[in-house]
Amino acid sequence: MKRIVFFVFLGVVVLTLQTALLRFFPIQRLRPDFMLIFTLYLGFSSPPILGAILAFFMGYFVDLFSGNTFGLYTFSRPILFYGAYLFKSKFYMEGFLSHFIFVFLAAFLDGALILMFITLLSPEPLLGFYPSFLLSLFPQSIVTALITPLLFALFEKGSILFAKKNGASVQERG
Amino acid sequence: MKIRGLFLLRRYPIPALIFLLLLIALSLMSMRARQQKGIAFFDAFLMEIGSPFQRASTFAIQTVQRTFDRYLFLIHLQRENEILKQRIAELQKENHLKEEAFLANERLRNLLQFREKVPTSMIAAEVIGQDPSFWFRSVTINKGERDGIRKGMAVIAPEGVVGQILKVAPHYATILLVTDYNSAIDSIVQKTRARAIVEGKGENRCQLKYLLRTEEVNVGDVIMTSGLGGNFPKGLLIGEILKVEKGGHGIFQFAELVPSVDLTKLEEVLVITESPVLSTEEKVKKPKKSPGGGPKGK
Repeated sequence: MKRIVFFVFLGVVVLTLQTALLRFFPIQRLRPDFMLIFTLYLGFSSPPILGAILAFFMGYFVDLFSGNTFGLYTFSRPILFYGAYLFKSKFYMEGFLSHFIFVFLAAFLDGALILMFITLLSPEPLLGFYPSFLLSLFPQSIVTALITPLLFALFEKGSILFAKKNGASVQERG
Repeated sequence: MKIRGLFLLRRYPIPALIFLLLLIALSLMSMRARQQKGIAFFDAFLMEIGSPFQRASTFAIQTVQRTFDRYLFLIHLQRENEILKQRIAELQKENHLKEEAFLANERLRNLLQFREKVPTSMIAAEVIGQDPSFWFRSVTINKGERDGIRKGMAVIAPEGVVGQILKVAPHYATILLVTDYNSAIDSIVQKTRARAIVEGKGENRCQLKYLLRTEEVNVGDVIMTSGLGGNFPKGLLIGEILKVEKGGHGIFQFAELVPSVDLTKLEEVLVITESPVLSTEEKVKKPKKSPGGGPKGK
C-alpha cells in the first residue's frame, strides 16, 4: 500500500514539474518530457499492475492539461509502459547509455504515435503542422533522453529513502 | 470460448490489462469525439484535483524568480532606468498623437452611427500551468465555470489575441493558444482588409490560410481579428507577417505570422465573457469554407 502511495506521490510531483516548472525553462522550443520518463521508470521499477494503471492516468492527465482534445496520450502511455516492462526482462538496462538509447527510442515512438493519431483524426491534412513536428521530434527526443539518467537516479534515490523509512517504521513497531 | 478467455486472462494478466486500458482509451476518444457530457464531467473533476498543485508550484517558482529579479539583477537597473526614461518621453509624444487620432475617430464613429464592438465584460485570470505535452499548445488558468467562463470564449492579453477557452472545470480552465495546430481564427490584413484564416503552426508561429493570391500582402503587415468567427470581437491584434509564400500555382497564397503576444511568457490573461453583437450584414459575408474562429474539427 505504501509503495502505491510513493508512486502516486511521485506522479503528482512529476506532473506539477512538467506543467509549472518547465514554463520557466530557458529553451521553450525544446522541453524534456518528465511524464514520459516517469512512465518508463514505472515500467522498470513499479509493480506491473500498479504501473500500468498509473501510466494510463498519467497519460490521462497529460491529455487533460493539453490542447489535445481526443485523449491521445491516454492511449500511447500504456503502450510505452508495456514496452519498458518487456525490455526490463530482456535487455541489460543499467547505466547512462542504455537509459539514453531506450528513452530516445521511446520518445521517438511516442511522437510517431501522436503524429499518426493526429493524421487519422484530423478532418483535413495539417500541412503546416508536419514540417515543424518532424523537425522538432529528433531534438525533442534527445533532450528527453539526456535528462533521463538524472531523473532515474532521483527516482531511485527517492525509492530507496522511502523503503528505508518504511523499514525503520516497521522495525519500531516490532 | 469464455473459459479460454478467462484462461488467457490468468495466464497473461499484464498484456490483458494493457489491452483493457487501450480499449478504455479508445472508448474515451470516441466519447470525446461525440462530446458526451459524462466525460466532460469526469475531466472537470480530475482537473479540479490536479490544478491546485500547479497553482501552488507556480506561485512558489514565481516568488523565487521575482526575488532574483528584484535583488540580484539590480546591477542593470541604472542603465535600464535611463533607457526607460527616454522611452517614456517617446511614448508620451506618440500617445499625444494617438489621442488626437482617437478623438477624431470617436467623432467620426458617432457621426456614422457605428455600433460599439469593444467587449463590455472581461475576467482577469492568472496562468498557473502550461501544456505538459510538447506537441500541443495550451495553458491552464485559475478561473473556471464558477467565475463565468465558458468553452469557446476569447482570451486576450494587452498585446493582442492569446487563444480561446477549450476545457472548463469549476475553478480552472484550459486555453487553446493561437499557435496550437487546432486553433483557427477568422482574420483580416489591417492594411488591405484582405480576409484569411489564422491557424496555429506549433512552436511560436501561426500561418495565414485561404488568403487570395491576388491580395497584396507584405512582410510586417498587421493581422487583426475580423469579428466574423463569433468568438473574437473585431479589431484585436493577432500578429505580424513574417514570411509570404506565393508558390507556383493555386488561387491562395500562404503567409507565416508571429503572434503579437509572447505566449511563452504569458502570466496574466483577460477572458472576454461577453462577445460583441455582430451585425447581420457581417454574418452574411462569412465564407462557407472558413472554420470561423473555433477549434478545428470540433
